[in-house]
Amino acid sequence: MRTRYLWVPLLIVVIAIPLGFYYVDWSKSGEGAGLYSRNWSPQEIFAYWNPDDFYESVDSVEGEFTGEQCVECHQVITPGVVNDWRKSRHSNPANDQPVVYCSDCHGNNHEGLHLPTPKVCGSCHAVQHGQFKDEKRYGFPSHSLALERAMDAKHFVDKPKAEVTACLQCHSVASKCDSCHTRHLFSAAEARRPEACITCHSGPPHPDDETYFHSKHGQLYLAEGETWDWSKSLSKGNYPAPTCAYCHMENGKHQVADKTIWKFGLKQVNPLTSGNQIRRKQWVKLCGDCHDQEWAAEQLRQLDAERKQSWEKLYEAESVLRDLRSDNLLQPAAKQRPPYPGDSPDTFLQYQRIGFFEGQASAFYNVSPMERDYFEMWYFDNLKSYKGAAHGDASFVKEGQAEMDHSLEIIKKNAERLRRANQVKVTDKEVKGNIWLEGEYTEYNWDNN
Amino acid sequence: MKIHDVIQVLLFSLVLQVFSSVSIAADGSAPSGVLNNEQCIQCHEKIDAVLTGQWRNSAHAKSKTLVDCVACHGAFHDSAAIRARQDQACIECHGGEKDPVVHSYASSKHGVLVKMEATQYDWTKPLAMANYRSPGCAYCHMYAAEHDVSVSVRQDIMQHSEAVQDTMRAVCTDCHAPRYITRLLENGEAMLEIARKKVREVDALIAQAATEFSEQQLSPIRQQRLKMQQHLVNVSLGAGHQSPDYQWWHGQPALDGDLLRIKGMISELRQQGQQ
Repeated sequence: MRTRYLWVPLLIVVIAIPLGFYYVDWSKSGEGAGLYSRNWSPQEIFAYWNPDDFYESVDSVEGEFTGEQCVECHQVITPGVVNDWRKSRHSNPANDQPVVYCSDCHGNNHEGLHLPTPKVCGSCHAVQHGQFKDEKRYGFPSHSLALERAMDAKHFVDKPKAEVTACLQCHSVASKCDSCHTRHLFSAAEARRPEACITCHSGPPHPDDETYFHSKHGQLYLAEGETWDWSKSLSKGNYPAPTCAYCHMENGKHQVADKTIWKFGLKQVNPLTSGNQIRRKQWVKLCGDCHDQEWAAEQLRQLDAERKQSWEKLYEAESVLRDLRSDNLLQPAAKQRPPYPGDSPDTFLQYQRIGFFEGQASAFYNVSPMERDYFEMWYFDNLKSYKGAAHGDASFVKEGQAEMDHSLEIIKKNAERLRRANQVKVTDKEVKGNIWLEGEYTEYNWDNN
Repeated sequence: MKIHDVIQVLLFSLVLQVFSSVSIAADGSAPSGVLNNEQCIQCHEKIDAVLTGQWRNSAHAKSKTLVDCVACHGAFHDSAAIRARQDQACIECHGGEKDPVVHSYASSKHGVLVKMEATQYDWTKPLAMANYRSPGCAYCHMYAAEHDVSVSVRQDIMQHSEAVQDTMRAVCTDCHAPRYITRLLENGEAMLEIARKKVREVDALIAQAATEFSEQQLSPIRQQRLKMQQHLVNVSLGAGHQSPDYQWWHGQPALDGDLLRIKGMISELRQQGQQ
């Protein structure tokens, strides 16, 4: 009797799985790229950050050229490119290997040139490319998933594309090796130094540059780095102090994601899961290149404590905001402000996004000042403290914690004020002539996403 | 001064003995001892009047605190050009390492490359023809010895300047493809125009609010507007110096925050008025 109807769920599965694949495929087939490709069109400049999806060769020059011919012309047209190449290993290969010319990476046909993506580099540098692709197994944050995660972010889809070009400049690390080995020298030594990372790893949400340079490791680098032999591999005994890459890409492995425990500090994680226990051992072993292993393990426990303390503060702020939300006291209310990125004005359930799992990452504009205060507390103050703790910069831990305390205080004070003001509760009716829905940028954003 | 710097200066003066013959050939001898601006101008007016003319037209010459020859080149004729070509010549006056003007460049790819490679560069070479792997401040803003720095800086941040873009286009082409430069310039302008929209949205709101409320009530709003101005500048610096961080975290989302905070303050004033 029971097995008679087994075909029903089976049939549903058989239909649903291909349908799901078809839907994802369909969503990705729009003018833009990624899961929401049907909701946006690219700026022309996107060709350089995401060549796989958007690059088209120039057709101003016709014909097929040899490597030598490329060099001959381009040393006049773009001499910097050729100067760089002449100094590179590509131009001066070791052990009788052939010279790698422009055409080997860009193609011979000038009307069909392409930008070298990691796949192109990987055709020679297979080990590094394999390691880089392997990052995907460990999820985000990682270099190899950076571009697709950026393009799938709700605010990326929602905002005018000339504005969010800024995102792609860093997140294109997934589509170009020269983010770290700048063109056209493509030096390994350059990428070993911390400066290679800081153009992207800086600023309020990830002050990796400041926290590293403040740390003892960074201070040693600043004092002595000029004298270190950067041609050496990132292995035990080769450097008196570690750089970004020494720890995050140990032994030159092109894999920054396999050891991540706290996932950039964006959400609370259990640092003691079985997977994370393995990663902790990897870190302790790595620190053991220079430090006593028990001491290293204690540093990780201190980082656990810092995370726990930060999340207590963040959750307290979240609960203040959630209480206001359930009492309809957040102003502007969901229906008085432009819809949350990715929603439309007639979305069935419109509500304020509070906390990581509701999409806090896109809740930094078109929200109430209080929500923005929380965004900054979560994304700037919290991460300041986290990066300080992770990189050994006590000053940033102290500042980050103090700023979180301050933000929490302000959020609580404002919440009390809102309750005391005994305001008329916000109804679901749309308000006409409302400043939150009008204005030059607000309307432009609405029309141009 | 570190021993390293002393050696560097000594080495450079040695190199200059070899390379400086061209600039001094006009009257056959280089002046020695401490020089002042008038002395520099007196000679160089005769040698290269175009150059001194460019400087006279520049913001450096017109600013209240005169930025004269000595300010960048130092008071000694030896190594004068070498000194002025390096970023250190500009940084102190332009706010120091932490100032957005300097930091947006220093954290860009160009900036970090110069930081790592400066000691390997041959600073005796002219600032042109991709003589340097990565450009320092002067390579772009004083390209080919252009002594009017103003031609490469937008005078009014709220206005587009085709002339500045044309100046930069000629510089970028030493290393970058023409189409890439054009698209980057277009995109930078579009990005800045979006930032201007945010500022104009706020200015319209404040203008309206000024008819409803006293200056005292508006004071916190005006303070927020002042912060907004820096965030607008950051977008411009981020696009100009190619720093993603200044385009974004110090720029666009910071402007979004200013915009919503000002809207919040005005809304509250209006609600208080109704009660």
